[in-house]
Amino acid sequence: MNCPDAVRLMNAYVDEELDAASVLALEAHLRGCARCRARADSLHALRSGVQRHTEFRMAPTSLRDKVQARLGHLESVPAGATRRRVAMGAAALAVVALAAWTLRGTLEPAPANVARGTGKVVYHVSSSQNAGAALRTLRNHLEASPETKVVVVAHNEGVDFLLRGARDESGQLFATAVRQFKDRGVDFRVCNNTLVRRRIDGGGILPEATLVPSGIAEISRLQEREGYTYMRM
Amino acid sequence: MSDDEKRARFERLVLPHLDAAYSLATWLVRDDAQAEEAVQEACLRAFRYFDGLRGDEARPWLLGIVRNTCYTLLQRARQDGAPLPFDEEGCGEDAVAAGAVVSFPLNPEAAAIREADRESVRGALRALPVEFREAVVLREIHGFSYREIAAACEVPIGTVMSRIARGRRLLQHALGARAETKDTGT
Repeated sequence: MNCPDAVRLMNAYVDEELDAASVLALEAHLRGCARCRARADSLHALRSGVQRHTEFRMAPTSLRDKVQARLGHLESVPAGATRRRVAMGAAALAVVALAAWTLRGTLEPAPANVARGTGKVVYHVSSSQNAGAALRTLRNHLEASPETKVVVVAHNEGVDFLLRGARDESGQLFATAVRQFKDRGVDFRVCNNTLVRRRIDGGGILPEATLVPSGIAEISRLQEREGYTYMRM
Repeated sequence: MSDDEKRARFERLVLPHLDAAYSLATWLVRDDAQAEEAVQEACLRAFRYFDGLRGDEARPWLLGIVRNTCYTLLQRARQDGAPLPFDEEGCGEDAVAAGAVVSFPLNPEAAAIREADRESVRGALRALPVEFREAVVLREIHGFSYREIAAACEVPIGTVMSRIARGRRLLQHALGARAETKDTGT
Protein backbone atom coordinates (compact mmCIF):
# COMPACT_ATOMS: atom_id res chain seq x y z
CA MET A 1 0.00 0.00 0.00
CA ASN A 2 1.24 3.50 -0.83
CA CYS A 3 0.61 6.75 1.04
CA PRO A 4 -2.31 8.05 -1.07
CA ASP A 5 -4.12 4.74 -0.54
CA ALA A 6 -3.36 4.86 3.16
CA VAL A 7 -4.67 8.42 3.41
CA ARG A 8 -7.81 7.47 1.53
CA LEU A 9 -8.56 4.67 4.00
CA MET A 10 -7.43 6.38 7.14
CA ASN A 11 -10.71 7.88 8.31
CA ALA A 12 -12.51 4.59 7.82
CA TYR A 13 -9.63 3.01 9.72
CA VAL A 14 -9.92 5.24 12.79
CA ASP A 15 -13.71 4.83 12.63
CA GLU A 16 -13.30 1.04 12.56
CA GLU A 17 -15.29 0.86 9.37
CA LEU A 18 -12.57 -0.84 7.38
CA ASP A 19 -12.66 -4.50 6.37
CA ALA A 20 -10.10 -6.78 7.98
CA ALA A 21 -7.90 -7.18 4.91
CA SER A 22 -7.59 -3.42 4.45
CA VAL A 23 -6.84 -2.99 8.15
CA LEU A 24 -3.96 -5.43 7.87
CA ALA A 25 -2.62 -3.77 4.73
CA LEU A 26 -2.92 -0.30 6.23
CA GLU A 27 -1.29 -1.30 9.51
CA ALA A 28 1.59 -2.86 7.59
CA HIS A 29 2.00 0.45 5.78
CA LEU A 30 1.83 2.40 9.04
CA ARG A 31 4.63 0.36 10.55
CA GLY A 32 6.92 1.47 7.74
CA CYS A 33 5.75 5.06 7.25
CA ALA A 34 6.30 7.64 9.98
CA ARG A 35 4.43 10.29 8.03
CA CYS A 36 1.26 8.20 7.83
CA ARG A 37 1.62 7.21 11.47
CA ALA A 38 1.61 10.92 12.28
CA ARG A 39 -1.51 11.36 10.17
CA ALA A 40 -3.27 8.55 12.00
CA ASP A 41 -2.10 9.97 15.31
CA SER A 42 -3.50 13.36 14.40
CA LEU A 43 -6.85 11.81 13.49
CA HIS A 44 -7.00 9.92 16.77
CA ALA A 45 -6.19 13.13 18.61
CA LEU A 46 -8.93 14.94 16.75
CA ARG A 47 -11.52 12.27 17.43
CA SER A 48 -10.81 12.18 21.13
CA GLY A 49 -10.67 15.99 21.30
CA VAL A 50 -14.06 16.36 19.62
CA GLN A 51 -15.57 13.67 21.82
CA ARG A 52 -14.09 15.17 24.95
CA HIS A 53 -15.26 18.70 24.29
CA THR A 54 -18.72 18.08 22.92
CA GLU A 55 -21.59 16.25 24.43
CA PHE A 56 -24.78 14.56 23.55
CA ARG A 57 -27.39 17.14 24.48
CA MET A 58 -30.49 16.01 26.26
CA ALA A 59 -33.79 17.44 25.14
CA PRO A 60 -35.27 19.80 27.75
CA THR A 61 -38.16 18.18 29.61
CA SER A 62 -40.40 20.96 28.35
CA LEU A 63 -39.66 19.90 24.77
CA ARG A 64 -40.61 16.29 25.48
CA ASP A 65 -43.83 17.55 27.06
CA LYS A 66 -44.59 19.79 24.10
CA VAL A 67 -44.05 16.99 21.60
CA GLN A 68 -46.20 14.57 23.57
CA ALA A 69 -48.88 17.19 24.00
CA ARG A 70 -48.96 17.90 20.29
CA LEU A 71 -49.06 14.21 19.44
CA GLY A 72 -51.75 13.62 22.03
CA HIS A 73 -53.73 16.43 20.55
CA LEU A 74 -53.38 15.02 17.05
CA GLU A 75 -54.78 11.69 18.06
CA SER A 76 -57.29 12.63 20.65
CA VAL A 77 -59.62 13.98 17.99
CA PRO A 78 -61.40 10.97 16.49
CA ALA A 79 -61.73 11.04 12.72
CA GLY A 80 -65.48 11.58 12.93
CA ALA A 81 -65.08 14.59 15.17
CA THR A 82 -62.98 16.51 12.70
CA ARG A 83 -65.95 18.03 10.94
CA ARG A 84 -67.46 19.21 14.18
CA ARG A 85 -64.16 20.61 15.30
CA VAL A 86 -63.95 22.90 12.30
CA ALA A 87 -66.94 24.77 13.60
CA MET A 88 -65.45 25.31 17.02
CA GLY A 89 -63.97 28.61 18.00
CA ALA A 90 -60.37 29.07 19.07
CA ALA A 91 -61.30 28.99 22.72
CA ALA A 92 -63.05 25.67 22.33
CA LEU A 93 -60.01 24.30 20.49
CA ALA A 94 -57.85 25.29 23.39
CA VAL A 95 -60.19 23.34 25.66
CA VAL A 96 -59.84 20.29 23.43
CA ALA A 97 -56.07 20.59 23.58
CA LEU A 98 -56.19 20.93 27.33
CA ALA A 99 -58.54 17.97 27.63
CA ALA A 100 -56.23 15.86 25.48
CA TRP A 101 -53.31 16.82 27.64
CA THR A 102 -55.19 16.06 30.85
CA LEU A 103 -56.39 12.76 29.47
CA ARG A 104 -52.86 11.74 28.60
CA GLY A 105 -51.87 12.73 32.09
CA THR A 106 -54.46 10.36 33.51
CA LEU A 107 -53.61 7.47 31.25
CA GLU A 108 -49.91 7.72 31.71
CA PRO A 109 -49.03 9.46 34.92
CA ALA A 110 -45.61 11.03 34.75
CA PRO A 111 -43.14 8.65 36.37
CA ALA A 112 -41.73 11.25 38.79
CA ASN A 113 -39.34 8.50 39.76
CA VAL A 114 -36.83 10.69 41.46
CA ALA A 115 -39.35 12.63 43.48
CA ARG A 116 -41.03 9.45 44.65
CA GLY A 117 -37.70 8.04 45.64
CA THR A 118 -38.37 4.53 44.43
CA GLY A 119 -37.60 4.91 40.76
CA LYS A 120 -34.99 3.76 38.34
CA VAL A 121 -32.38 6.20 37.17
CA VAL A 122 -29.58 5.90 34.65
CA TYR A 123 -26.57 8.16 35.14
CA HIS A 124 -24.72 8.90 31.94
CA VAL A 125 -21.05 9.73 32.52
CA SER A 126 -19.27 10.78 29.34
CA SER A 127 -16.50 13.01 30.61
CA SER A 128 -13.68 12.12 32.95
CA GLN A 129 -13.79 15.55 34.60
CA ASN A 130 -17.37 14.98 35.70
CA ALA A 131 -16.91 11.56 37.25
CA GLY A 132 -16.11 12.87 40.74
CA ALA A 133 -19.10 15.20 40.68
CA ALA A 134 -21.29 12.38 39.34
CA LEU A 135 -20.39 10.13 42.28
CA ARG A 136 -21.03 12.95 44.76
CA THR A 137 -24.43 13.56 43.18
CA LEU A 138 -25.11 9.84 43.27
CA ARG A 139 -24.24 9.67 46.97
CA ASN A 140 -26.62 12.55 47.77
CA HIS A 141 -29.24 11.04 45.55
CA LEU A 142 -29.12 7.68 47.36
CA GLU A 143 -29.15 9.37 50.73
CA ALA A 144 -32.31 11.25 49.78
CA SER A 145 -33.96 8.18 48.25
CA PRO A 146 -32.16 4.96 49.18
CA GLU A 147 -34.58 2.74 47.27
CA THR A 148 -33.70 4.19 43.89
CA LYS A 149 -32.19 1.71 41.47
CA VAL A 150 -29.28 3.40 39.75
CA VAL A 151 -27.32 2.27 36.71
CA VAL A 152 -24.22 4.27 35.79
CA VAL A 153 -23.35 4.03 32.10
CA ALA A 154 -19.83 5.19 31.26
CA HIS A 155 -19.09 6.23 27.72
CA ASN A 156 -16.38 8.17 25.89
CA GLU A 157 -13.93 9.77 28.34
CA GLY A 158 -16.42 8.93 31.07
CA VAL A 159 -14.99 5.39 31.28
CA ASP A 160 -11.74 6.71 32.77
CA PHE A 161 -12.88 6.62 36.38
CA LEU A 162 -13.67 2.92 36.04
CA LEU A 163 -10.12 2.05 35.02
CA ARG A 164 -7.96 0.30 37.58
CA GLY A 165 -5.86 2.79 39.52
CA ALA A 166 -7.95 5.83 38.52
CA ARG A 167 -8.05 8.55 41.17
CA ASP A 168 -10.37 11.48 41.84
CA GLU A 169 -9.36 15.15 42.21
CA SER A 170 -8.22 14.59 45.77
CA GLY A 171 -6.12 11.55 44.90
CA GLN A 172 -8.54 8.95 46.27
CA LEU A 173 -8.94 5.75 44.29
CA PHE A 174 -12.27 5.69 42.49
CA ALA A 175 -12.28 1.92 43.05
CA THR A 176 -13.15 2.39 46.74
CA ALA A 177 -16.23 4.48 46.03
CA VAL A 178 -17.26 2.25 43.14
CA ARG A 179 -17.11 -0.83 45.39
CA GLN A 180 -19.25 0.90 48.04
CA PHE A 181 -21.84 1.91 45.47
CA LYS A 182 -21.84 -1.56 43.99
CA ASP A 183 -22.58 -2.95 47.47
CA ARG A 184 -25.56 -0.61 47.65
CA GLY A 185 -26.90 -2.08 44.40
CA VAL A 186 -25.61 0.47 41.90
CA ASP A 187 -24.63 -1.05 38.55
CA PHE A 188 -21.71 0.28 36.54
CA ARG A 189 -21.75 -0.43 32.81
CA VAL A 190 -18.98 0.43 30.40
CA CYS A 191 -19.36 1.10 26.68
CA ASN A 192 -17.32 -1.48 24.79
CA ASN A 193 -17.33 0.64 21.62
CA THR A 194 -15.44 3.24 23.62
CA LEU A 195 -12.89 0.67 24.78
CA VAL A 196 -12.34 -0.61 21.26
CA ARG A 197 -12.07 2.87 19.85
CA ARG A 198 -9.69 4.05 22.53
CA ARG A 199 -7.79 0.77 22.48
CA ILE A 200 -8.36 0.15 26.16
CA ASP A 201 -8.06 -3.44 27.25
CA GLY A 202 -11.21 -4.78 28.94
CA GLY A 203 -9.00 -6.20 31.69
CA GLY A 204 -8.15 -2.66 32.77
CA ILE A 205 -11.72 -2.06 33.88
CA LEU A 206 -12.64 -2.43 37.56
CA PRO A 207 -14.22 -5.81 38.30
CA GLU A 208 -17.32 -4.05 39.68
CA ALA A 209 -18.13 -2.77 36.19
CA THR A 210 -19.63 -4.80 33.38
CA LEU A 211 -19.21 -4.28 29.65
CA VAL A 212 -22.12 -3.46 27.35
CA PRO A 213 -21.73 -3.37 23.56
CA SER A 214 -22.74 0.29 23.23
CA GLY A 215 -23.22 2.82 26.02
CA ILE A 216 -25.71 4.91 24.08
CA ALA A 217 -27.72 1.85 23.05
CA GLU A 218 -27.74 0.72 26.69
CA ILE A 219 -29.06 4.10 27.84
CA SER A 220 -31.75 4.04 25.16
CA ARG A 221 -32.70 0.53 26.13
CA LEU A 222 -32.95 1.39 29.85
CA GLN A 223 -35.12 4.39 29.07
CA GLU A 224 -37.20 2.71 26.44
CA ARG A 225 -37.67 -0.80 27.75
CA GLU A 226 -37.17 -0.46 31.47
CA GLY A 227 -38.58 2.96 32.21
CA TYR A 228 -35.39 4.50 33.57
CA THR A 229 -35.13 8.24 34.07
CA TYR A 230 -32.09 9.77 32.44
CA MET A 231 -29.54 11.86 34.32
CA ARG A 232 -26.75 13.51 32.45
CA MET A 233 -23.52 13.86 34.43
CA MET B 1 -53.40 0.16 13.11
CA SER B 2 -55.65 2.23 15.38
CA ASP B 3 -54.58 5.72 16.41
CA ASP B 4 -53.89 4.53 19.93
CA GLU B 5 -51.74 1.67 18.71
CA LYS B 6 -49.92 3.99 16.38
CA ARG B 7 -49.25 6.47 19.14
CA ALA B 8 -48.10 3.75 21.53
CA ARG B 9 -45.78 2.32 18.90
CA PHE B 10 -44.48 5.79 18.08
CA GLU B 11 -43.80 6.54 21.73
CA ARG B 12 -42.03 3.23 22.15
CA LEU B 13 -39.91 3.32 19.00
CA VAL B 14 -39.35 6.97 18.21
CA LEU B 15 -39.62 9.13 21.33
CA PRO B 16 -36.65 7.46 23.06
CA HIS B 17 -34.57 9.16 20.36
CA LEU B 18 -35.83 12.62 21.21
CA ASP B 19 -32.58 13.47 22.95
CA ALA B 20 -30.58 12.43 19.91
CA ALA B 21 -32.94 14.48 17.76
CA TYR B 22 -32.44 17.56 19.91
CA SER B 23 -28.72 17.04 20.14
CA LEU B 24 -28.34 16.86 16.36
CA ALA B 25 -30.66 19.83 15.83
CA THR B 26 -28.65 22.06 18.17
CA TRP B 27 -25.52 21.32 16.16
CA LEU B 28 -27.23 21.89 12.83
CA VAL B 29 -29.19 25.08 13.50
CA ARG B 30 -26.84 26.25 16.27
CA ASP B 31 -29.58 27.86 18.29
CA ASP B 32 -31.36 26.13 21.16
CA ALA B 33 -34.78 27.68 20.59
CA GLN B 34 -34.70 26.93 16.87
CA ALA B 35 -33.52 23.42 17.63
CA GLU B 36 -36.61 22.90 19.79
CA GLU B 37 -38.78 24.19 16.96
CA ALA B 38 -37.12 21.86 14.51
CA VAL B 39 -37.51 18.84 16.77
CA GLN B 40 -41.20 19.49 17.38
CA GLU B 41 -41.80 19.94 13.69
CA ALA B 42 -39.78 16.83 12.89
CA CYS B 43 -41.69 14.71 15.41
CA LEU B 44 -45.00 15.72 13.93
CA ARG B 45 -43.69 14.92 10.45
CA ALA B 46 -42.30 11.66 11.71
CA PHE B 47 -45.65 10.74 13.20
CA ARG B 48 -47.34 11.49 9.91
CA TYR B 49 -44.94 9.24 7.98
CA PHE B 50 -44.60 6.73 10.77
CA ASP B 51 -46.25 3.93 8.81
CA GLY B 52 -43.25 4.05 6.49
CA LEU B 53 -40.84 3.05 9.25
CA ARG B 54 -39.69 -0.55 9.04
CA GLY B 55 -38.02 -2.56 11.76
CA ASP B 56 -35.90 -0.97 14.43
CA GLU B 57 -34.15 1.63 12.32
CA ALA B 58 -36.01 4.36 14.18
CA ARG B 59 -32.97 6.34 15.19
CA PRO B 60 -31.41 7.06 11.77
CA TRP B 61 -34.92 7.40 10.39
CA LEU B 62 -35.94 10.06 12.92
CA LEU B 63 -32.61 11.85 12.66
CA GLY B 64 -32.99 11.93 8.89
CA ILE B 65 -36.30 13.73 9.35
CA VAL B 66 -34.78 16.08 11.95
CA ARG B 67 -32.00 16.85 9.55
CA ASN B 68 -34.37 17.65 6.68
CA THR B 69 -36.43 19.85 8.98
CA CYS B 70 -33.30 21.71 10.09
CA TYR B 71 -32.25 22.24 6.50
CA THR B 72 -35.68 23.66 5.71
CA LEU B 73 -35.35 26.01 8.68
CA LEU B 74 -31.89 27.11 7.59
CA GLN B 75 -33.06 27.68 4.03
CA ARG B 76 -36.03 29.69 5.21
CA ALA B 77 -33.74 31.83 7.34
CA ARG B 78 -31.56 32.45 4.34
CA GLN B 79 -34.50 33.42 2.11
CA ASP B 80 -35.78 35.80 4.75
CA GLY B 81 -32.49 37.60 4.48
CA ALA B 82 -31.54 36.69 8.00
CA PRO B 83 -27.82 36.31 8.55
CA LEU B 84 -26.52 33.01 7.33
CA PRO B 85 -26.56 30.67 10.28
CA PHE B 86 -23.35 28.99 9.31
CA ASP B 87 -19.99 30.28 8.22
CA GLU B 88 -19.45 29.10 4.71
CA GLU B 89 -16.77 31.52 3.73
CA GLY B 90 -13.27 30.26 3.80
CA CYS B 91 -14.15 26.65 4.35
CA GLY B 92 -16.08 25.64 1.26
CA GLU B 93 -15.13 22.68 -0.85
CA ASP B 94 -12.34 24.54 -2.64
CA ALA B 95 -10.64 25.37 0.59
CA VAL B 96 -10.99 21.76 1.68
CA ALA B 97 -9.64 20.43 -1.57
CA ALA B 98 -6.66 22.75 -1.32
CA GLY B 99 -5.93 21.77 2.26
CA ALA B 100 -6.82 18.13 1.97
CA VAL B 101 -4.16 17.00 -0.42
CA VAL B 102 -1.33 19.45 -0.02
CA SER B 103 -0.63 19.83 3.65
CA PHE B 104 -0.64 16.75 5.81
CA PRO B 105 -0.25 16.99 9.52
CA LEU B 106 2.81 15.75 11.28
CA ASN B 107 2.97 15.22 14.99
CA PRO B 108 3.05 18.89 16.02
CA GLU B 109 -0.47 19.15 14.71
CA ALA B 110 -1.59 16.15 16.75
CA ALA B 111 -0.03 17.82 19.77
CA ALA B 112 -1.81 21.10 19.04
CA ILE B 113 -5.10 19.26 18.67
CA ARG B 114 -4.57 17.43 21.95
CA GLU B 115 -4.03 20.74 23.67
CA ALA B 116 -6.95 22.48 22.01
CA ASP B 117 -9.40 23.72 24.62
CA ARG B 118 -13.12 23.18 24.72
CA GLU B 119 -13.98 26.54 23.16
CA SER B 120 -11.62 26.05 20.21
CA VAL B 121 -12.90 22.57 19.46
CA ARG B 122 -16.55 23.55 19.69
CA GLY B 123 -15.95 26.73 17.72
CA ALA B 124 -14.19 24.83 14.95
CA LEU B 125 -17.00 22.28 14.78
CA ARG B 126 -19.68 24.98 14.72
CA ALA B 127 -17.86 26.71 11.89
CA LEU B 128 -17.85 23.65 9.61
CA PRO B 129 -20.12 23.74 6.56
CA VAL B 130 -23.33 22.09 7.62
CA GLU B 131 -23.00 18.86 5.61
CA PHE B 132 -19.54 18.16 7.01
CA ARG B 133 -20.67 19.20 10.47
CA GLU B 134 -23.61 16.82 10.47
CA ALA B 135 -21.46 13.90 9.35
CA VAL B 136 -18.88 14.56 12.07
CA VAL B 137 -21.53 15.19 14.74
CA LEU B 138 -23.42 12.00 13.88
CA ARG B 139 -20.20 10.03 13.96
CA GLU B 140 -18.52 11.48 17.06
CA ILE B 141 -21.38 12.60 19.27
CA HIS B 142 -24.09 10.16 18.28
CA GLY B 143 -21.81 7.21 17.56
CA PHE B 144 -23.46 6.50 14.21
CA SER B 145 -21.85 4.03 11.84
CA TYR B 146 -21.20 5.12 8.26
CA ARG B 147 -24.19 3.08 7.19
CA GLU B 148 -26.46 4.86 9.67
CA ILE B 149 -25.17 8.27 8.62
CA ALA B 150 -25.78 7.33 4.99
CA ALA B 151 -29.35 6.35 5.89
CA ALA B 152 -30.03 9.51 7.88
CA CYS B 153 -28.54 11.85 5.27
CA GLU B 154 -29.81 9.87 2.29
CA VAL B 155 -26.42 9.78 0.59
CA PRO B 156 -24.16 6.90 -0.47
CA ILE B 157 -21.58 5.61 2.01
CA GLY B 158 -18.79 6.97 -0.19
CA THR B 159 -20.19 10.46 0.30
CA VAL B 160 -20.32 9.91 4.06
CA MET B 161 -16.66 8.91 4.02
CA SER B 162 -15.58 11.92 2.04
CA ARG B 163 -17.64 14.31 4.17
CA ILE B 164 -16.16 12.93 7.36
CA ALA B 165 -12.67 13.11 5.90
CA ARG B 166 -13.14 16.68 4.72
CA GLY B 167 -14.81 17.76 7.92
CA ARG B 168 -11.98 16.36 10.00
CA ARG B 169 -9.39 17.83 7.69
CA LEU B 170 -10.94 21.28 8.25
CA LEU B 171 -11.05 20.73 11.99
CA GLN B 172 -7.42 19.66 12.07
CA HIS B 173 -6.51 22.68 10.07
CA ALA B 174 -8.52 25.03 12.29
CA LEU B 175 -7.14 23.60 15.53
CA GLY B 176 -3.57 23.27 14.30
CA ALA B 177 -3.66 26.78 12.84
CA ARG B 178 -5.15 28.20 16.00
CA ALA B 179 -2.37 26.76 18.08
CA GLU B 180 0.25 28.13 15.69
CA THR B 181 -1.25 31.61 15.92
CA LYS B 182 -1.15 31.33 19.66
CA ASP B 183 2.49 30.28 19.55
CA THR B 184 3.63 33.12 17.32
CA GLY B 185 1.84 35.54 19.62
CA THR B 186 4.00 34.64 22.58
